[in-house]
Amino acid sequence: MVEYDSSLIEADRFPNRDAPLSGLAPQVGPDADRRMPDAGTVRLDATRPHASRRSDPEPDGTGLYVHVPFCRSKCRYCGFYSVPVAGRHTGRLVDCLLRELDQYDGIEFTTGYIGGGSPTALPAGQLIGLACQVAQRLVSGAEFTVECNPGQVEPGLLEGLRQAGVNRLSFGAQSFHPAELELLGRGHRAEDIRSSVDLARRVGYDNLGLDLIFALPGSSLTDWQYSVAAALDLGVQHISAYSLSFEPGTVFDAWRRSGRLSAVEEDLDRAMYDWTIERLGQAGLRQYEISNFARVGCECRHNLGYWANQPYVGIGPGAASSAGILPVSGLGVPNAGFCVGEPRGMGVPAMTADTDHGQGAQGRDGRAPSCSWAGRPCHGQGARVTNNPEIESYVIAVENGAPIPREVQPVNAADTLCETAVLNLRRRAGIDLATFARQTGHDALRTFAGPIQRYRDLGLIEVTPGAVRLTAPALPIADSILCDFAALE
Amino acid sequence: MDIQHIRNFSIVAHIDHGKSTLADRMLELTGTITAREAKDQILDSMDIERERGITIKASGVTMEYERDGETYMLNLIDTPGHVDFHYEVSRALTACEGALLVVDASQGIQAQTLANAYVATEAGAEILGVINKVDLPAAQPELVAEEIEHVLGIRRNECFRISAKTGLGVKDLLDAVCDLLPPPADRRHEPARALIYDSHYDDYRGVICYVRVFSGTLKVRQKIRLMGEGSAYQVTELGKFRPDMRPVDELGTGEVGYVIANIRNLGDVHIGDTITDDARPAPDALRGYKPPMQMVFSDFYPGNNTEYPRLRAAFERLALNDASFSFIPQNSQALGFGFRCGFLGLLHMEIIQERLERENDIDVVQTAPTVSYEILLSDGTAKRIDSPSELPDRTQVQEIREPFVRLEIITTTDTIGGVMKLAESRRCKLVKTDYLSPTRVLFEYRAPLSEIVYDFYDQIKGISHGYATMDYEFTGFEAGDLVKIDILVNHTPVEALSLIVHRSNAEARGRKLIIKLRRSIPRHQFEIPLQVAIGGKIIARETIKAYRKDVTAKLYGGDVTRKMKVLKRQKEGKKRMKSIGSVEIPQEAFMSVLDTSD
Repeated sequence: MVEYDSSLIEADRFPNRDAPLSGLAPQVGPDADRRMPDAGTVRLDATRPHASRRSDPEPDGTGLYVHVPFCRSKCRYCGFYSVPVAGRHTGRLVDCLLRELDQYDGIEFTTGYIGGGSPTALPAGQLIGLACQVAQRLVSGAEFTVECNPGQVEPGLLEGLRQAGVNRLSFGAQSFHPAELELLGRGHRAEDIRSSVDLARRVGYDNLGLDLIFALPGSSLTDWQYSVAAALDLGVQHISAYSLSFEPGTVFDAWRRSGRLSAVEEDLDRAMYDWTIERLGQAGLRQYEISNFARVGCECRHNLGYWANQPYVGIGPGAASSAGILPVSGLGVPNAGFCVGEPRGMGVPAMTADTDHGQGAQGRDGRAPSCSWAGRPCHGQGARVTNNPEIESYVIAVENGAPIPREVQPVNAADTLCETAVLNLRRRAGIDLATFARQTGHDALRTFAGPIQRYRDLGLIEVTPGAVRLTAPALPIADSILCDFAALE
Repeated sequence: MDIQHIRNFSIVAHIDHGKSTLADRMLELTGTITAREAKDQILDSMDIERERGITIKASGVTMEYERDGETYMLNLIDTPGHVDFHYEVSRALTACEGALLVVDASQGIQAQTLANAYVATEAGAEILGVINKVDLPAAQPELVAEEIEHVLGIRRNECFRISAKTGLGVKDLLDAVCDLLPPPADRRHEPARALIYDSHYDDYRGVICYVRVFSGTLKVRQKIRLMGEGSAYQVTELGKFRPDMRPVDELGTGEVGYVIANIRNLGDVHIGDTITDDARPAPDALRGYKPPMQMVFSDFYPGNNTEYPRLRAAFERLALNDASFSFIPQNSQALGFGFRCGFLGLLHMEIIQERLERENDIDVVQTAPTVSYEILLSDGTAKRIDSPSELPDRTQVQEIREPFVRLEIITTTDTIGGVMKLAESRRCKLVKTDYLSPTRVLFEYRAPLSEIVYDFYDQIKGISHGYATMDYEFTGFEAGDLVKIDILVNHTPVEALSLIVHRSNAEARGRKLIIKLRRSIPRHQFEIPLQVAIGGKIIARETIKAYRKDVTAKLYGGDVTRKMKVLKRQKEGKKRMKSIGSVEIPQEAFMSVLDTSD
């Protein structure tokens, strides 16, 4: 156990850690039991060793994402939900995150990821404490990433995280140009990126990633090349290179509307992207997804889970949890349907819960409503659940043991087929036909015969003996192709 | 009823000049309907007609009217007001001895006033000039009376000044109908002859023929013969419209009413045909009128190929009640299975289109309307084609003839320049200019129908700030230096985009067309060349650039729902398109063919 200041995280602030909010032992109602024989005691291949690094692994298992919705200041391009950390009682939120996590105590997660917002905006002790708790929920050897703002790391924090079990850091570098960092509204300098990567190395991390943004308003190809070269100089294992998108509600979006700034020309965006793929490839960072590049074996397993459409649980305001893969024809991961991640005691989403459906009601009738979402039984159907982003209502709900306000999006078998295909195709490896069949019970070549044929003829898709994937020319225009996989024809 | 007390008449007017309101007032004044049961414009029975303020189908109503102690039978045969339905005006008037020509007191004579006046004169009807809406503040009845005298030769002091809305002067007008319009000729003792001036299909009773008896008498249970068709039927019911259908035992000479005779298909009855007595047939049929000619054609394809049978059923239903609409199966390489539909004109096409959507809820892809051509082949024979794609190989074509019309435009003098310029750019030849008044002018042109069929009227309206009106009438096919333009999309010729145009503006039209296509076809994953070819020779090219960048940068767990929605929408957009080769072409692209604006 890592040592940390126990005043930051007190065990007795979690009275229900062992007996979750509902006060119920893990159990499922008789109906649910018939539908999902293992719903209460799920096995998710959690015991499978993950320590060995395969090339482009097909992750198996359930990912855990913890969202820290605080930032020191809001970046101008960022569309994620976050609030300024100043004056916030962050400890209360961290408590709630842990309590929400407790609701999933049947699951051993195969990857962990603390992101935000800026996790590093939290006081060091709180972040370390959070990491400790998360680490306990991961299988041995699991990848465990924490997002770091380069301006917000110091030796104690990185050391504490490492000891807590964090084995991967992802730095939101974005750019190495002072002017671009200023424009983006990042709170750090280029020098901070270099020093924090050095520091991470010294502390002992050997799996580091950098995020970069290209196609910034007013930037040239040379500007971008400079940032990429600077990132490569740092010798990190992983780079995510994102083309800037103008997210609704951001300062950038408003500025673009008012004409204060404008998006770069499509051709320049394309040139930057093409060059990135080439340059990073030369440097040994292989492109494994539209925007992600890594040394072989250093791909982000957690994110690979998303693109493999594996189940994941999102904790915290605004976080999304997936149904994962639902067996369409009895194949696939047993009971990896939504009910797997169904938190006990919080099973009734706000939209269907009335005031009686809190702890008391469940205690009274002893029935866990875990298989009924929005009044719909979930056998054979899945759902994606997204916590409402608003912090106050989240905290109040968790502290009172009430259902967390969340949106439930049903995901039916057809949706699952399409989502799996679209997500898979973002990977350079594409759709692994055998895995796809195992997950969905369907043959991808047959299900998507139309678009596959059409784009094969255009040289935008290739079919190899075991896989279907986008060709290199298809990557910059992937959406125009993936849209044909977004719904069945 | 004594024939001397029968009056058969129509009301003709430019659209919105108050024809239907006048009819309503007459129905009320004659006690045919009470004011309470009078819903406005009772003669217009179809929804679309009421919404558009136009009358499509002629219908007849019988009224009784006391004049100087004598009872008159007034048969009012309503007529459509729009240019496309000229032939219906003409057939309604053939059944009448007189016509009331209604002109709006503030708007004066309009293009369709003139067109209707010509038709009435041709039909030999006695015309009474009626100036309506004299109660409006903007009314200038004296000025309008002057116009009527100048243009139509009806003396200004003989025009009736009325307000159909308030009823002012309508009684005097009814008196005049009795006093001034001639009664039908007395042919009681000749063999029965009745003109079918309209018909409609009733689900329960079969075909209902609207007739005007010219000689002899029709009786219930009589065996009748349709002289044109040669087929015989037994009359099961005779009646009059008052305005609802009231059965009678017989219809005598001069009378107007309906005949039901177990006729199953609307196609078995030809408007303009003569009904006679099967046992004692008349030697000659009545002079009918020229059958309506379809001048505008357009292809309809189901948006989804599985809807083809539904589309066919819908067209069959529409054709039941509209003998002037036709559809034949069509198979296009580009658009799959559909129908080539023939219409009298553009308005007719729009009405069919609207009814298709409203009554059947079928998504259709429609090609731009084209006109009919007459082709003189090398072997000396002539052939009609309804689509550029039917044009035979160049080596077999001696001459291409296109339909010409007499086009009349009435506009204000301050917009003469713009109107003339537009007309000239559309190959219209000015025949006559006539100043109706110091501020209004009438142009008569000889115009190729293809040039005015699509957007000409809209443009004229625009140039004249909504003031100008126009009307046209088909005069004949004339040879021209016409060529077929082919459009190649990604090197594939697309039949549905071909058109026949005059050589002088072939290149310009082709260029404009591909520029429009470039704007309406979305970018693809590859570059798409758009080419114009005449006789296999490429004369113009445009290029639709390929997508350079279209990819979501970040897609992680929390983004999936939103992103899948965006992608689905992107795919939905493609659904409304037709793929030709690997190119998805949206429906608007097919309509841009005849759009000659910039």
